Amino acid sequence: MIISPQLKIQHLFWRAGFGLSPKEFSIYHDWSIDKTVDHLMKASVNPEPFGQVKPAFQTREELRRLSEEEKKQLQKMNRNTLGKLSVSWLERMGDPNRPALIEKMTLFWHDHFASDSKLPHFSVKQQNTIRKHALGNFRDLVLAIAKDPMMIQYLNNQQNKKQRPNENFARELMELFTIGIGNYTENDIKEAARAFTGWTTNLRGEFVFRSNWHDYGLKTFMGKSGRFDGDQIIDIILERKETAQYIAGKIYRFFVNEKIDVSRVNDLADRFYRSNYDIGQLMAYIFKSDWFYSSENIGSKIKSPAELIGGMIRTLGLEFEDFRSLLFTQRALGQVLLKPPNVAGWPGGKAWIDNATLMVRLNLAGWLFDSTEVNFKLKEAPEMRSYNLKNRKIKATIDIEPIINAFSGYPENVLFAKLSGYLLQSGLVADASKLERFVSDESKEKFIASLVLRLMSLPEYQMC
Amino acid sequence: MKNTRRDFLKASVLASGSLFIPTFLKGFDVGTHRLGKEQGKVLVIIQMSGGNDGLNACVPYRNDIYYQSRPTLAVKDSDVLKLNDEIGFNPVMEPMKALFDDGLVSVINNVGYPDPNRSHFRSMDIWQTASGAKEYLSTGWLGRYLDLTCKDCNPYHALEMDDTLSLSMKGVESSGFAVGNLAQLKKTTGSPFLKTVAHHHDHAHEENVAYLYRTMASTISSADYLYEQAKTFSTKTVYPGNKLGKTLKQVAELIIAGTDTRVYYVNFDGFDTHARQRGMQDNLLKQYALAMKAFTDDLRTHNLIDDTLVMTFSEFGRRVKQNASGGTDHGTANNMYLVGGGLKNPGVFNSGPNLLDLDNGDLKYEIDFRRVYATILKNWLGVKDGGVLGRKFELLDVV
Repeated sequence: MIISPQLKIQHLFWRAGFGLSPKEFSIYHDWSIDKTVDHLMKASVNPEPFGQVKPAFQTREELRRLSEEEKKQLQKMNRNTLGKLSVSWLERMGDPNRPALIEKMTLFWHDHFASDSKLPHFSVKQQNTIRKHALGNFRDLVLAIAKDPMMIQYLNNQQNKKQRPNENFARELMELFTIGIGNYTENDIKEAARAFTGWTTNLRGEFVFRSNWHDYGLKTFMGKSGRFDGDQIIDIILERKETAQYIAGKIYRFFVNEKIDVSRVNDLADRFYRSNYDIGQLMAYIFKSDWFYSSENIGSKIKSPAELIGGMIRTLGLEFEDFRSLLFTQRALGQVLLKPPNVAGWPGGKAWIDNATLMVRLNLAGWLFDSTEVNFKLKEAPEMRSYNLKNRKIKATIDIEPIINAFSGYPENVLFAKLSGYLLQSGLVADASKLERFVSDESKEKFIASLVLRLMSLPEYQMC
Repeated sequence: MKNTRRDFLKASVLASGSLFIPTFLKGFDVGTHRLGKEQGKVLVIIQMSGGNDGLNACVPYRNDIYYQSRPTLAVKDSDVLKLNDEIGFNPVMEPMKALFDDGLVSVINNVGYPDPNRSHFRSMDIWQTASGAKEYLSTGWLGRYLDLTCKDCNPYHALEMDDTLSLSMKGVESSGFAVGNLAQLKKTTGSPFLKTVAHHHDHAHEENVAYLYRTMASTISSADYLYEQAKTFSTKTVYPGNKLGKTLKQVAELIIAGTDTRVYYVNFDGFDTHARQRGMQDNLLKQYALAMKAFTDDLRTHNLIDDTLVMTFSEFGRRVKQNASGGTDHGTANNMYLVGGGLKNPGVFNSGPNLLDLDNGDLKYEIDFRRVYATILKNWLGVKDGGVLGRKFELLDVV
């Protein structure tokens, strides 16, 4: 398989972002890899925050004063705010005027440090924290997450007191967030939990250290003894090479290939460790490596729903009339951003696909292009009820002009190949000659628009 | 428990290869039965979503605490359809009482799990994945059952009567098949474009692309098969016109038509009754009882009731005390109903809830729900339960 420079650039944009908008395609398709990587990295340092949400109440006392009805209204408002935030994140992923790498990195860390909250300002706060460190230093990121209100609440560190330690956060810190299973003992968890006692949050979403809950005693953790607090526990975990190994493996599976290449991951882990856990440096190295562009890595990943939707928004310039359309689509596809299924994140890969989600994926472009009635019902979910997501039309506008502008210069006999080359990272598997009758030949514009619709309705389009 | 969780997480993080089976599962010798084909056993699961208030379905009609705790919500003792001298059905479940009297119902009381979770979402995940309260699994119990026993089965061997597939039906290699509306699915999969693509494509070299094409092709062929099966037999039995009635009618018709499906999964929504519960829940229970009666009668007429087992559950029960809005809030342990001709000990299986011994106003569980699953897996579907559930649970003498 010959891998053209254009395919490589597209690979980079898919893995480091959500594909290329037609305009981005026109600009970047012949750039060199090194230059493009530097450009993408530079655009994503000092990212804009995700936003600010004011807490609806400041203290438990205020919350207690609310009537039942007011509480219900508040819950409904919070759910709506969270739904809108979830959708607005997808729209960011699809916005070609925003740097995409930071969105992709944030998606990765959101899945890695999976947590959620019913309080929108907690959710936004964690987003901002992740964004700040997403391409920075992993130690800073872990420490910030350990002090993050949403995580503290989600993993019960709020209940972690000297007299009655709660091990939940300490366990997941090692098992899922840093060093991985098999590299610590049950006793390490107990001792680490003691070090994080008193790390709490208030309802405003601020970290509060409660010294009277904190255990200042001597701890023995991973073979070391001292009066450790949480910072030092994290330092000790990061001194262990296995942590670099675990994170490098997870980054490889997300950005490169679900199937691990052991020697490459070992190399990445070495570099990551030697750089003192510099995430940006590691990502730039991966994106600039020749092996990143080898055929087994291109077009081999099943897009997550966020990648699929973000990519479609980017390519088609989609604008949605009602945020609930995108919530509906997320739920139908099995991934609602800001609401991961549990602390282990989304299983990913083939787990995205069953007969129902595949049909939704193959029909999605049709629903968007034709605004046809969506004959697909979501199950009632009591905790999502206020969205009223049942069986609705997806009202969205498509801006097809940029694609037409980018491709109408090609003669008709190569248009098909050009467009499928642009849209399908795994190459065309369907028989091109049989697709002709589904494509309009009225005009070049209609040909392009109908071909885009059909290519986006193929199994191949599910790949990136 | 530790090991189980660890291995499951490994499975969820590392599962990528085509033949991945979590290592702990390999340790168990899985039975070679193919979905109980030899016995032709069928399992129907009804999921009451929202948290069915078991105390107002199976009423402890002689318990003063029940009546004190629910001054306006309690079911009057004189109205109760007595099952024994302790509990009785809500009067709206009269059709279900008839089945009970015919020896076709087992009521299992106080089913739950340790450290109960009161979030709908999380507790349903626990029931669907058969995990402990502190484990997070990315496969469902029926999905794992398919993974272990059903490598060569048709995709519709486990069928969910809905447009979306529940976590319970998702395995690593195999998953159940979702079909909310057969005609609609047939229309979707019958699109000329889809059919053309499915029939005319190159051999996909990339494993995931091949997987997508395979899933697409099997969805189309399954939709065709099920659509034909649904036309094979049309029942004369009258079902209630509500959604559950229609769905169970469809299930009965597929079973009677000899469809090669062994597990049917049915969702029944609306049980989140925080306010003005009595009318709402009574209506749902009535729909349930009527639909179950019609379904059971249908299968009895066709001599299939002995090969059919219906298991009904909800993600949790409700608190013992009613709340200020004439409803109940999220609770813990609950009752489950088994219906069918193959019950070993029809009737009330164990004593009702002990309202004197509550956990902060909530019922304490006595039977782990995974014991019910284990029993059904082993004794009804004929597979080794430990392989599916990751460990052994003591079986119950119900089927």
